[in-house]
Amino acid sequence: MTAEEVELSDDELATLSDYVDGLLPEAERAAIAAKVDAEPAWKRAHGDMTGTRDALSGMQKARAPASFAQDVTATIHKRSRGSLFAKRSAGDKVPFMALLVLALLAVMVVAYVMWASGSGSLHSAPSAPEGPSGDGSALAPRP
Amino acid sequence: MAELDASLIRRLRSRDERAFRELIEAERDRIYNITYRMLGNRAEAEDVAQEVFITVFKTIESFREESKLSTWLYRVTVNHCKNRIKYLARRHDRDRDELDETSHSQETNGAVVGPPQHAQPDRALAGAQMEKLLQEAIAQLDEDHRIVVVLRDVEDLSIEEICEITGLPDGTVKSRLHRARLALRKRLQRHMVEES
Repeated sequence: MTAEEVELSDDELATLSDYVDGLLPEAERAAIAAKVDAEPAWKRAHGDMTGTRDALSGMQKARAPASFAQDVTATIHKRSRGSLFAKRSAGDKVPFMALLVLALLAVMVVAYVMWASGSGSLHSAPSAPEGPSGDGSALAPRP
Repeated sequence: MAELDASLIRRLRSRDERAFRELIEAERDRIYNITYRMLGNRAEAEDVAQEVFITVFKTIESFREESKLSTWLYRVTVNHCKNRIKYLARRHDRDRDELDETSHSQETNGAVVGPPQHAQPDRALAGAQMEKLLQEAIAQLDEDHRIVVVLRDVEDLSIEEICEITGLPDGTVKSRLHRARLALRKRLQRHMVEES
């Protein structure tokens, strides 16, 4: 076995693993760094270990399907027949904000109609009763 | 974060569906990535990830808030993965090494590129081939080693967090991590030798 082929012991590899993870105290870290620099077996094992770790950390992150949240909640609803989630409050069921907007719109429409009408109310101004003749004699009191 | 956790936990305990959806949106990809890397199969990973969230929602009352919500979530994930691995092993399921659809279609199309001939596995393999090889190597680890290497090297959690999640002492986590890395390194090296 050549110097290149020397394998580290389990204890040495455990120490190297801690070194790679930055878990060694300063003095010990310096000693291992010196070995990694100077000894081919340590250097090779270090390269392999960091290489494996870097390859693992560089693995593609798998992403959950887009419908995941819906699927989970649907499963819960199905299994519990709707009893697991709290009953929805009135605020959840009734679209209060939409109702408020509609009410505001209605108020604005009414206000506009009132402003546009001559009488100042929603009712149109009563028209004067039309007499039988246009000379005004019908309006004159009878003697 | 603690305040956010506390607020979310309170809402989850009151069975607020919107809180539940918030938790799913925040953690689904991470949980799914763990289950996928642990199980190596998209359908199983999705199923287990769903069970994780359902369990969390059903058992939120039992969460004692001695750890972060995410730590508890990962603990539930790890337990579900372990159970599923045992179940699949009992069923002698042979589909565990299924890879994502992309790499599968590349294979069936004959588009897999052979690994370059280098001495170190990290430099030798790239892209989908490296992904496939690593996933296969992870799947060959026993579940105890698989858990620590996925949490540490794939998910980049700290040793302390892994101790909390697994309930194992510091030394056990480190030694399992070391052995897992060693096993992965050997498998990758063996693959390189076979290829060359």
